[in-house]
Amino acid sequence: MKHFDYARPDSFEAASAVLTAEKGSEIIAGGTDLLGVLKERILPEYPSKLVDIKHIEGAEGIAFDGSTLKIGATTKLTAVAGSEIVKEHAPLLAQAAYSVATPLIRNIATVGGNVCQDVRCWYYRYPHEIGGRLNCARKGGDRCYALLGDNRYHSVFGGRKLKTTPCQKECPASTDIPAYMEQIRKGDWDKAADILLQANPIPAITARVCAHFCQDRCNRCESDESVAVSHVERTVGDYVLENAARFYAPPAAESGKSVAVIGSGPSGLTAAYFLRKAGNKVTVYDSKEEAGGMLMYAIPAYRLPKDIVRQQTKALAAMGIDFVLNTQVGKDIAPADLEKRYDSVFYATGAWKRRIVGLAGEELTTFGLDFLVEVEKWFSGRLGDDVLVTGGGNVAMDVAITAKRLGAKKVTMACVESRGEMPASKEEIARAEEEGVVIMPSWGLSKVVEEGGSIKGMELKKCTGVYDENHRFNPQYDENDKIIVQAGTILMAIGQLVDLSFLDEKYQLQLTRGGLIAVADDDEMSTSRPGIFAGGDATLGPATVVQGVATGRRAAWGMCHYLGVPDCKGGTWTGATRNAFITYDPDAAQKTEPSRLKELPAPERGIDKEDSSSLTREEAACEAGRCLNCGCYAVNPSDLSPALIALGATIVTNKREVPAEAFFTEALCISEALKPGEIVTAITMPSVKGAVAHYDKFRLRDAIDFAIVSVATILKAEGGKFTYARVTVGGAAPVPIRLTKVEEYLVGKALTQETADAAADLAMEGSLPLAHNAFKIKQLRTYVQRAIMRLA
Amino acid sequence: MDVQSIAMTVNGREYEFSVGTRFGQVPPEETLVETLRRRLELTGAKQSCSEGACGCCTVILNGDAVPSCMMLTVDADGADILTIEGLEDPATGQLDPIQQAFIDAAAFQCGYCTPGIIMALKALLNKNPAPTEKEVDEALSGNYCRCVSHYHVFDAVRDLIGAGKEGE
Repeated sequence: MKHFDYARPDSFEAASAVLTAEKGSEIIAGGTDLLGVLKERILPEYPSKLVDIKHIEGAEGIAFDGSTLKIGATTKLTAVAGSEIVKEHAPLLAQAAYSVATPLIRNIATVGGNVCQDVRCWYYRYPHEIGGRLNCARKGGDRCYALLGDNRYHSVFGGRKLKTTPCQKECPASTDIPAYMEQIRKGDWDKAADILLQANPIPAITARVCAHFCQDRCNRCESDESVAVSHVERTVGDYVLENAARFYAPPAAESGKSVAVIGSGPSGLTAAYFLRKAGNKVTVYDSKEEAGGMLMYAIPAYRLPKDIVRQQTKALAAMGIDFVLNTQVGKDIAPADLEKRYDSVFYATGAWKRRIVGLAGEELTTFGLDFLVEVEKWFSGRLGDDVLVTGGGNVAMDVAITAKRLGAKKVTMACVESRGEMPASKEEIARAEEEGVVIMPSWGLSKVVEEGGSIKGMELKKCTGVYDENHRFNPQYDENDKIIVQAGTILMAIGQLVDLSFLDEKYQLQLTRGGLIAVADDDEMSTSRPGIFAGGDATLGPATVVQGVATGRRAAWGMCHYLGVPDCKGGTWTGATRNAFITYDPDAAQKTEPSRLKELPAPERGIDKEDSSSLTREEAACEAGRCLNCGCYAVNPSDLSPALIALGATIVTNKREVPAEAFFTEALCISEALKPGEIVTAITMPSVKGAVAHYDKFRLRDAIDFAIVSVATILKAEGGKFTYARVTVGGAAPVPIRLTKVEEYLVGKALTQETADAAADLAMEGSLPLAHNAFKIKQLRTYVQRAIMRLA
Repeated sequence: MDVQSIAMTVNGREYEFSVGTRFGQVPPEETLVETLRRRLELTGAKQSCSEGACGCCTVILNGDAVPSCMMLTVDADGADILTIEGLEDPATGQLDPIQQAFIDAAAFQCGYCTPGIIMALKALLNKNPAPTEKEVDEALSGNYCRCVSHYHVFDAVRDLIGAGKEGE
């Protein structure tokens, strides 16, 4: 073992003081669990000091005071198993202690250690020496290896979430992706939609255009391919729009506050939704003819049909959101007037301004964004045969593909980034190339080649590196390596700027920094002016749709907070509750290929028709089946814990007394169940003398094995009928579970085989066997039946 | 609270160890089986599985059979320890009756697990000189033999307990 220090305090107070004062110190009692963990170095963190509590006086012993049985934390399991007092007042606890490991182990293992032991999952316990420890979800990693691996001893009741999964963490809007996938698997589309809407009110739009960072970090990428989150989201998004009246219902009550949202792009629409949901009167201003901002005007219809955007804004309008269009702030209405008329104002005006590079002849080129906005103007063949698109982002891709589809014979795309560095998504690059766009990575702009005021092409210079040693964007060029690309039209898509000229001088000074609206770094998107908030590209520079959504939602929260309007977080979903088990579909999860959208063949694609069609609900449900609902699917290993829950025991620590059920089920890891400096000092329980109390444990080898399934029962019967029942199961779920339905069912029922069978059926309710552990459910049934039939 | 030195009795002899990380000291992370085998050269207890599952490292600590690989030496402070080497009579060299019974019944194959089995049995017989077969099963359930010598082990135990009974 690696070195650790060792302390032997003489009281729990002193032990607790060490734990609190010295980071990395840990309790050692019997050590039979801990030494295994340390020898194999299964955990990334190794304790710096062990605090031995075995020498604390009074911590060991068994006593019954006439009503309560008390067992000290350092009492050996041999003593518990052999104690006449325990056998009389809590026989199932004596049986549970006796069932632990081997007599040799029981001679040193303690009661406190048993209830605080770590899980026995073989992935979790994989020794570090043999190729490195497996950093599973329980150890701060992301994956559960049992989900697609050998899970014969794992949970049959689902897993538990330990932390935010990487997909959700990657999503700027923090969408609880696994949670809505789970609802789809259960067939509850309304709940799935609720979960999605709580993070993102425009899923039909984001599903089509979001960069889906979530998919890059999907745990499935390690074994095959990411869950096609975007495709599933799209079907949910379509479902939401089909049932718009239900999902975009006006708020039940008005808050009495009125707010203005400037800009109706993704950020503005999102803020408007959450603000309205909280009961505020919301007015959205936009300078364009139709609402939607970039969604309506910049993103080509073949990716995002205008009709989807119109349906979305219509749904939002039906919530009671007012849209004031064709109105430019700064021209038609002054910022100061907005402030007077509304209790709070949100600016999400986007990034629409052309970036001027300063090239010779640049005035002859066309701004790529204008090209997309005014695409109809280009329908009549003004484009010419050879088109050069500059830039390597998604806007550049949209421009290039649109140009190609408008009939340009040759579309060349030049960008300073190397192929791997191009900011556009892989799918968009592939689509562009499929349609014949020639991509020239690592070429920077040198000058426009003109002849008498008309464009002939562009001179490019080789780019040798985009980022400097500080990882800042700072392209370096080889001025001796130049070529000329012939082109009649040059479309510049090298980024957009934020135009804040609509703010008068006073406002500009107060609100802006570096060409953007400056917001506080407090997750509420507030500006330095009270009541004024901002989000989207206006605060970020050109960013993604989902970042617009995320900032819009944060701003809505911030504005509600500012206005003193409660709860605009919307929806009823509060995330996976700590005590709920999460589930996945072991069969569907075996599918390695993700679902793909049906796409029009390249020759049939156009400007106005959407390239792809949504998955059907069935297809989307099938893809949702590939989501592993990442969490921990290991089982609670302690034999004593189910017995203690059945007994209604209390865990006594140096700081408090906790009911055993809460202690063992609320937190998944012992490090969470115990507060800092907290140590289990004893366990107390009432006597169950007179009841038929048993601990039945199924395992392969009688000695050493942990429970594959165990059932702790306390039953009483009178006149042939059950009068009292406590049934708790160990080894079957992430925490021991009390079968309250079985308990309730049994009381008043006759002591018959039928009763036992029905109780066994109830015991299985909600079970979800993994690929290799259905046998555990059979065993559980048998043990429940057997315990009941003991009384017959 | 910090432990500077520890003392223990092993096979009737008293030992004192300085605790620390310098040369010759017992570091806190040293297990009892390591101390017995490396420092005291009592190599009867074997370190086999290193996780308390096989029983090859069994010694008797304050009367109880324990896996010495799953105990820190610092934890054995003040303990009275008996290993297989302490069973024979130090003056005459006469073996413990259990050892003799194992030889008589050839209750071993490679012998690696035998000291552990004998010590587990010794702890049982100290507490319960006439155990039932079930009690013997239970007491030895933490000791594994991969050469399948345990049938002969039970023969030896039967001989031994039977002999004891005859002597009464």
